[in-house]
Amino acid sequence: MGRFILRRLSHGLAVLLAVATLTFVLMHITPGGPFDREQRLPPQVMANLYAKYHLDQPLWKQYLLYLKGLMRGDLGPSYKYLHRTVTDIIASTLPVSGLLGILALGFAIVVSLPMGLLAAYYHNSWADRWCLFLATLGISLPNFILGGMLIWFFSLQLGWFQAGRWGSPASMVLPTITLGAAPAAYLSYLLRSTLIETLGEDYIRTARAKGLKETVVLFKHAMRNSINPILTVMGPLLAALVTGSFVVEYIFAIPGMGRFFITAVTDRDYPMIMGVTLVYSALLVGANLAVDMLYSVTDPRVKTQ
Amino acid sequence: MLLTLGSCSPSSEQVQETTFRVNLGTEPPSLDWSRATDHVSFNVVVNLMVGLTEFDRDLKPTPMVAKFWEVLDGGKKLLFHLRDDVRWSDGKPVRAQDFVYSWQRLLNPETASEYAYILFDIVNAEEYNQGKIKDPALVGLRAVNDRTLEVRLKYPAPYFLAITTFEVTFPQRQDMVEKFGERWTEPANIVTNGPFLLESWKHENEIQLRANPDFYLGKPAIDRVQMVMVNEKTTALAMYERDQLDFIDNKSIPIFEKRRIARRPGYRVVPQLRGYYYGFATNRKPFDDVRVRKAFALAIDERVFPKVLHGGEQPIKSWIPPGMLAYNKEIGLSFNPSAARRLLAEAGYPNGQGFPTVTLGYNTDESHKMVAEAIQGMWKNNLGVLVRLDNQEWKVYLSRLLRDPPHVFRLGWGADYPDPNNFMNLFTSNSGNNNTRWKSKRYDELVEQAARELDPEKRIELYDEAQRILCETDVPIVPLFVTTEATVLNPRYTGLELNSMARLMLRHVRLKEPST
Repeated sequence: MGRFILRRLSHGLAVLLAVATLTFVLMHITPGGPFDREQRLPPQVMANLYAKYHLDQPLWKQYLLYLKGLMRGDLGPSYKYLHRTVTDIIASTLPVSGLLGILALGFAIVVSLPMGLLAAYYHNSWADRWCLFLATLGISLPNFILGGMLIWFFSLQLGWFQAGRWGSPASMVLPTITLGAAPAAYLSYLLRSTLIETLGEDYIRTARAKGLKETVVLFKHAMRNSINPILTVMGPLLAALVTGSFVVEYIFAIPGMGRFFITAVTDRDYPMIMGVTLVYSALLVGANLAVDMLYSVTDPRVKTQ
Repeated sequence: MLLTLGSCSPSSEQVQETTFRVNLGTEPPSLDWSRATDHVSFNVVVNLMVGLTEFDRDLKPTPMVAKFWEVLDGGKKLLFHLRDDVRWSDGKPVRAQDFVYSWQRLLNPETASEYAYILFDIVNAEEYNQGKIKDPALVGLRAVNDRTLEVRLKYPAPYFLAITTFEVTFPQRQDMVEKFGERWTEPANIVTNGPFLLESWKHENEIQLRANPDFYLGKPAIDRVQMVMVNEKTTALAMYERDQLDFIDNKSIPIFEKRRIARRPGYRVVPQLRGYYYGFATNRKPFDDVRVRKAFALAIDERVFPKVLHGGEQPIKSWIPPGMLAYNKEIGLSFNPSAARRLLAEAGYPNGQGFPTVTLGYNTDESHKMVAEAIQGMWKNNLGVLVRLDNQEWKVYLSRLLRDPPHVFRLGWGADYPDPNNFMNLFTSNSGNNNTRWKSKRYDELVEQAARELDPEKRIELYDEAQRILCETDVPIVPLFVTTEATVLNPRYTGLELNSMARLMLRHVRLKEPST
């Protein structure tokens, strides 16, 4: 197991380096610079800015400088938020996005498990059709529409929740539902189809023929074998959810990291682009590793040697 | 954490603290007024600080920290005499040295301030910023004593007083900036001299201000200000309607809601010193022909813009915006489709026949698209020419304007300080912001002369002639309208008047008397 983890970690580092290099090159070849404004700056003022941030150096030197900083855990200064480092910004926004992401994932699991089970167990019944309908709705409704509808109904019409912002537990309800709806729908779809397949297997028939209780058949035998596809998607899903959603954070004015995936690029805030990309990649690598390790628990066929 | 003391219902007792709630839209990029460049940051700074002067309603600089000033040496020397009762929030008096330090810091190449150029009229300021001079003492700035600031200019600059209203010229405390470095603007470290104090700053979330009991003009009527950062307009508007905000402006009103919001009590439209124009690439065919440029300008009926954008936009034909010195509504080409067709025919394109495919460029944005489509329609109907619309992401668009502008392009220009020099300079031959590639020696001369002329009447004459060249004779640009801020103030409050520089000045805000 230890050797497996080590090997995977070194692969992960290689992936991160590749991501860093590619992002660095791509963002520098994108037209437009961090200090391009409607009111174009005089050349000497621009030169001072470029000198301050080493943008006057050749690209390979800038890249090496960045890597050198990275080794020390320094993600550089933000070009947009002048008094804050990228590390500061990520340290204050990632926990918010993380909490929202975990809540949304929790919501997705709590909703999708019973829905998927119900739909698979009562396959082709009205319950199945209702679950399918809800799941289709959850997947196809864009979250900016869902968020807007929730604000309109629960905040403006009923007055139950505030219209935006983050802090009290009540303020987390609408964003959690908005962010969690699509994953909930997706997971319930997935669970339904794998469960239907599993429930048709011979060993389930054997278990039933042996007179086992239906709950034992369902939860002990069928569920265990249907859980792996769910775990597979859980890794990337978790990484995507905890690094924040631009749209949901934007609609509800949540001080999370998601917005920086867009604004860092539109601002050409180079260190910020690198920072959020690397954090996202690192979480993705980490989550996939965790899922692989979980496989060995849920599926004895998977060896981690 | 959310603060819940925000609301203050009409029935509240007087003892309850009043908190005025506004939406900043986004996180302020910097509260360091030497380095800030944007409205969001300045809207916070303007409530924390006062400088030498401030605008009055007529946009004339009036005394603040400067009690009065003397213009000497034919306009090349300014002596500011400072009040002795303005204090920093730590109790120390505001001194002339604080201005000298702040201005030198703005010019210091290591600060890398984007607005350093605003002080380039001062002797040796540009040279110091370029690094040609290392000693800041050589810059034409001096604290004669604690109460007297001397500024020496390279040449007479009638607009220089207006520059002293600009936030980047506010004083700074050398000891604090040097002690805390990059962190000097955090609430625990910052020292200010204005009507409000920075109480807390939760990044990407909210800023809280507290009334400064020792402000030299007296403590403001509202006790606190909560400035939230809600980006999405629909959400911000919902917050206003749920009584979570007391004031909203363009940042909080989606275009499609403007007509509905216009019926609300407390609604007001404030024209801004911000021009919106279309420029022609005058070095490219067919717009190298002035007849074509004129034809395109004459074919635009500028009255449609308020109907398209619903924000009470003010159509303009000349470049200096209403409210500014030398604004002249008689200058410019008025809508005249038949004259437009005639000119286009003279240029060799009768009814648009044989006209090459040309592109109208703008940066991706709903309102720019609506304007572009309206103009595309007018050119089609009035000239028989179909232009191709081409939108690009903002920074891609800006770099394209620099390298290879489209035939026709959209841009705007907002005043840093309300003087026509700030607007007319834009289209001089050596201006880095002149994307039209148009050059006129006479225009350059007039703008230069007007910038050095101290007599307002003579300045107006010079700008009139320059504007005629720009908007009637050579037409490298077509001014379209000045933008506006649609604002709604909670009817419980009064005293908030957004000025035409879109500054959110809160020190006069107060609750209305219960009887009103």
